[in-house]
Amino acid sequence: MTTYFIRRLLLTIPTFIGITLLVFVITRFVPGGPVERMVTQAQIANAEMGIEQIDGVGGSTLSEEQLAQLNAYYGFDKPVIISYFLWLKKVLTFDLGTSSRYNEPVWDIIVERFPVSIFYGLLTLVITYSVCIPLGILKAIKHSTPIDHFSSALVFLGYAIPNYVFGIILISLFASHWDIFPLGGFVSYEFDDLTFFEKVVDLLRHAVLPLLSYLIGSFAVMTMMMKNSLMDNLAADYVRTAMAKGLTFKDAILKHAIRNSLIPLATSFGHTISFVLTGSFLVETIFNIDGMGLLGYESLVERDYPVVLGILVISSGLFLLGNILSDLCVAIVDPRVQFN
Amino acid sequence: MTMNTTTPLHHSLCFAIAIFLASLLLGGCDDSGTAKPPANAATSSPAVQPDQSSAEVSQPSTPSAETEPALAKLPDNIEWTTNNDDKIFADPEAKRGGSFSTYIPSFPLTLRLVGPDSNGSFAGLLRDLQMGLVDFHPNTLNPIPALATHWAIAPDQKTVYYQLDPEATWSDGNKITADDYLFTLEFMRSKHIVAPWYNEYYSKQITDVIKYDDYTIAVVSGHAKPRDELIAATAISPKPRHFHQLDENWVQNYNWKKEPTTSAYTIDKIKKGKFITFKRLDNWWAENKKFYKHRFNVDKVRIKVIRDQNIAWTHFLKGELDSFPLVLPHYWHEKAKGELFDKGYIHKVKFYNDLPQPAAGMWLNTARKPLDDINVRQGLAHAININKVIDSVLRGDYERLETHHVGFNDYSNTKIDPREFDVERADYYFNQSGWSNFGSDGIRTKGGQRLAFEVNYGAQHHTDRLVVIKEEAKKAGVELNLKLLDSAASFKQVLEKKHQIAWMAWSGGGLSPRYWEFYHSVNANKPQTNNITNYSDPELDKLIEAYRKELSKEKRVAQAHQLEQMIHDSAVMIPTTKVPYTRSAHWAWLKLPSFYGTKRTTSLTSVFGGGLFWMDTEYKDVVEKAKKEGNPLPSRTIVDDTWRR
Amino acid sequence: MHLHPLTAKKIQRFKSIKRGYWSGVILVLLMVLSCMAELIANSRALVVSYNNKLYFPTYGAFIPGNYFGLDYKYETNYRQLKHIFQQEQSGNWVLMPPIPYNPYESNTIAGQYPPHAPSWSQQHYLGTDAAGRDVAARIIYGFRLSMAFSMLLLIFNYAIGTTIGCLMGYRGGAFDIIFQRIIEIWSSVPTLYVIMIVASIMIPDFWVLIAILVFFEWIGITWYMRTSTYKEKSRTYTLAAKALGASDSRIILHHLLPNSISVLITFIPFSIASGITTLTALDYLGFGLPPPTPSWGELLRQGIGNLSYHWIAGSVVTAMVCILTMVTWVGEAVRESFDPKKFTYYE
Repeated sequence: MTTYFIRRLLLTIPTFIGITLLVFVITRFVPGGPVERMVTQAQIANAEMGIEQIDGVGGSTLSEEQLAQLNAYYGFDKPVIISYFLWLKKVLTFDLGTSSRYNEPVWDIIVERFPVSIFYGLLTLVITYSVCIPLGILKAIKHSTPIDHFSSALVFLGYAIPNYVFGIILISLFASHWDIFPLGGFVSYEFDDLTFFEKVVDLLRHAVLPLLSYLIGSFAVMTMMMKNSLMDNLAADYVRTAMAKGLTFKDAILKHAIRNSLIPLATSFGHTISFVLTGSFLVETIFNIDGMGLLGYESLVERDYPVVLGILVISSGLFLLGNILSDLCVAIVDPRVQFN
Repeated sequence: MTMNTTTPLHHSLCFAIAIFLASLLLGGCDDSGTAKPPANAATSSPAVQPDQSSAEVSQPSTPSAETEPALAKLPDNIEWTTNNDDKIFADPEAKRGGSFSTYIPSFPLTLRLVGPDSNGSFAGLLRDLQMGLVDFHPNTLNPIPALATHWAIAPDQKTVYYQLDPEATWSDGNKITADDYLFTLEFMRSKHIVAPWYNEYYSKQITDVIKYDDYTIAVVSGHAKPRDELIAATAISPKPRHFHQLDENWVQNYNWKKEPTTSAYTIDKIKKGKFITFKRLDNWWAENKKFYKHRFNVDKVRIKVIRDQNIAWTHFLKGELDSFPLVLPHYWHEKAKGELFDKGYIHKVKFYNDLPQPAAGMWLNTARKPLDDINVRQGLAHAININKVIDSVLRGDYERLETHHVGFNDYSNTKIDPREFDVERADYYFNQSGWSNFGSDGIRTKGGQRLAFEVNYGAQHHTDRLVVIKEEAKKAGVELNLKLLDSAASFKQVLEKKHQIAWMAWSGGGLSPRYWEFYHSVNANKPQTNNITNYSDPELDKLIEAYRKELSKEKRVAQAHQLEQMIHDSAVMIPTTKVPYTRSAHWAWLKLPSFYGTKRTTSLTSVFGGGLFWMDTEYKDVVEKAKKEGNPLPSRTIVDDTWRR
Repeated sequence: MHLHPLTAKKIQRFKSIKRGYWSGVILVLLMVLSCMAELIANSRALVVSYNNKLYFPTYGAFIPGNYFGLDYKYETNYRQLKHIFQQEQSGNWVLMPPIPYNPYESNTIAGQYPPHAPSWSQQHYLGTDAAGRDVAARIIYGFRLSMAFSMLLLIFNYAIGTTIGCLMGYRGGAFDIIFQRIIEIWSSVPTLYVIMIVASIMIPDFWVLIAILVFFEWIGITWYMRTSTYKEKSRTYTLAAKALGASDSRIILHHLLPNSISVLITFIPFSIASGITTLTALDYLGFGLPPPTPSWGELLRQGIGNLSYHWIAGSVVTAMVCILTMVTWVGEAVRESFDPKKFTYYE
């Protein structure tokens, strides 16, 4: 099994290179990068100031040489592949480069957003699991009863509504119309002046609506997974045997069925890890939460490619690790599983 | 510059340019085209060591204080002028004190004023903290003393002498002397600031700064200019030599350093991503000068970052922000309503100003068929229903822009009327050029081709306006296909002249209209020039060249009128809308001067630029008490058209 | 038509799941209706009776105003025409569709500025958007477009996904490993990012958008098909077919595919829902179809920008939630009816 995981780990390397190279190349060919932005600025400034273009014959506002200098400043002076490997080399030393917008290390900018993303990510994770597992069990036991039908309708309704649409509904009703919750943000502007207790209340008040948006779609899959797998197990021979041996229905479920039903859930655990950090930029945009999602979106719109790539490195790294972690979880929970 | 998709394109363009202009003190300069700027050693020979570049670029004939101790000798026959005659434009009733809160949509990327990303909207505020040698009276547009008390123009109309105010100090207490102006040149020409445009400008447009003694300097322009434009161009700002350490890390090192200022405010506290506060200097050096008295009345300024306008609005309604701009129609008409307004806690103001208007229009690329045909262009102009856009989507708030250059005082040709939406006349012109058949969809055809145009634009919220225009144009048998791109990509296409019709606005700036960039044949059919209509006409070229060389204002005005008429006749640009006013709401405790603002006021609550308003802290208590108890105060909605044209 | 008994049983089971069944019926009905959207929401009249002749302007070439005795040559304004005929009382009449607006025209109401609130007298049942366009008309056409979009997206995705998935499972070896890597890379590229980047360079029209999405989304089904083929490949009936000398393509088309397809069907409703969601999100962010295409995302955007004009966000959110919920319920029902497991209980 160790060899299997080592092989898996090694295989993530080409994948990682593939992902980052793809995006790296794309970013190179998109208009509106920092150099072009400067050319445009110079262009507009010249127009307004009435300055004759260099040598008075039109053409680019900045001289070839100035352009070359700018390109060098932003590291665009080398062929794509070479600058990609230069970038990769730096990434291996945990240097994600400098944001072309903030002129600050990308890593610092990203780390600044970690607490926000982790806060929402973990809360979402915890709430999802603590709702879905009991609900799934309940639905399995009460299969085909009104409770089962009703809760199915509900979780699928939630599943159907895209989280950003739900966010819009919430913000327009509870923040804009009724003014119960704040319109957005992670904490209030006065956060630093508050007492500890007020801080907690403030944080939670801000968290309610975004959390609901994050959560709404996450119940269906997990609940149904739990329900179906528990029902599979309930119908399995070993449960019958256990009950034939005199175990009560309750004990059969608690001591045997549930544990085995958790296996499929474990497989999905790894994937949720990457979500914990990256969040959903749509929800963050709507609620104006300064998390990783919003950072990614803004840096893309503003063409801050070092940050875009930095986020990509982290999210794809986590995604790949999550995949392996999932396998590992399965191996731990289910001793029958053997990887070859 | 922020090409922000959430701000109107022409606003964002305009704003960013306003920033450029503010920094250079409305510097309009129109070079003659014959005067060759001196060779710039720094740009032509990259081998020059960075730390030597300043010495290299300084003219050998005019030694700077850096290289030689012997100072240049001031010519004897200088006639110094100043301005103490114009009326003051501040209200003596103003009271010092209080704090003012406002917001910006995003946290600035840097506090630097030059170099990468130093053109955000926030930089505009910061630039207001750095005064120039002279300022301009906002109503008379005459020069008024600022860091210089006196000035004199040399007969060559290139050099301006300045006597510096010996009382002027940096906010850190250091004296502002001639060396700081020499340093401006050195600084702006340095490669380390990664600002090619400034490098260029301070090499070719400002060719030298000469020190005569600690408080007397001359600034030399690269080209002879009319008097007012020359002063505007040479009234540069000093740079604190004692503060900057110019080396290759300057851009990174000075991102968040608080540069000493020359105006009444300095940065106090910064909380990244959250807010920035400014404080008023206690003994500001210009405190009691004629044109600076009773201004900059607020003690503390707090600028919060609120990304979303709707959220900012709720903050304003809670009294956490003191004022809020209401230029957008639905804010003025719909949102700014209700108890807070009816009971007089919040006041609304609509103030007409008189400024160069952004040249907002549909720019027809004459290099693309069939727009090379003047009949098609004229027909198209009559097929565009701007008035319907104004009356529907824009709620009657905007006005029709008459022609390219509007709001340049005497220079503006006010006799031009824009072409109105008129299906009959459009029909006439289209028939003239043979577009007289109709397809089954109601679109005109000629030789199997449909009369369809692509309209290139980059501001998503202008879609509302364009869909109205598109539907109306169908009535004249014209199909317009809307091509919305991200603003950077859209602008790039336009500069590469790949558009058919560009829907965009150039910000209005400077003291007089610009024709060469937009209409001279030298700039036609070349990428990266502003002649985005690719229009060329030898007659027009001649007149443009004459206009550029003319130093007499009277003649230039006449030429400008003629040029504007020729451009109108060519029908290459369909002017769209203008907004000749500023609108805002403020809490009743914020007091405006009795005359509200000046001719050039773009924001009534501009705290660093105009600084005319003040906070009435006693009245604030009254308002807050009244609000708590629900008692009404006198309600006010002010509409001032003193400066309306 | 003769149905396989198993299939018949599945349909029977689907019908018995009331929530899903009725959602399906309503959805199909809505889709059929939306195909005739021109007859429901249109500025062109359904029927015009002018000088004892009947005209049906809905489909076909435009009829200029002077045709009906009006004083202009551009397309007739039928609402106006109706009004004029009513006043003239000369026996001419106009029959307008229930919503007498097309999704593109901006209607100006004297003395009011858009967005106009819902009004029965103006026949703007759901009001208008900020440009004065009828919200109901835009929702209807937007629905048709999103449905068509998701269907096409689904067809292309499944076509490519199944083909590659089957080949991966069937061929195995290097082909399998290479595509596994590609899929892994593809699935971790942030699709939305790439679309945003592409959209900033060129205007994605309907087909370009589908192409970009297919380019990244075919992997979803591939993975499943691979596993399924892989399993089926080693089953005896496949081996038997092989022994009988059946060609690879025959085995895949006649044996592997049919067995996997029954399960493929259960994915369809969810794919459609995700197609709608994706398109709406892209339009919402402004990276989707070019204006003035009637789209839900664009309405959402307007609604969010003008929360005080609650009818914009209200209408489109309601429409979206209803449609997506129904689609999901259908999906749930399909899944349950295709699930061969029947559970036994001990109580």
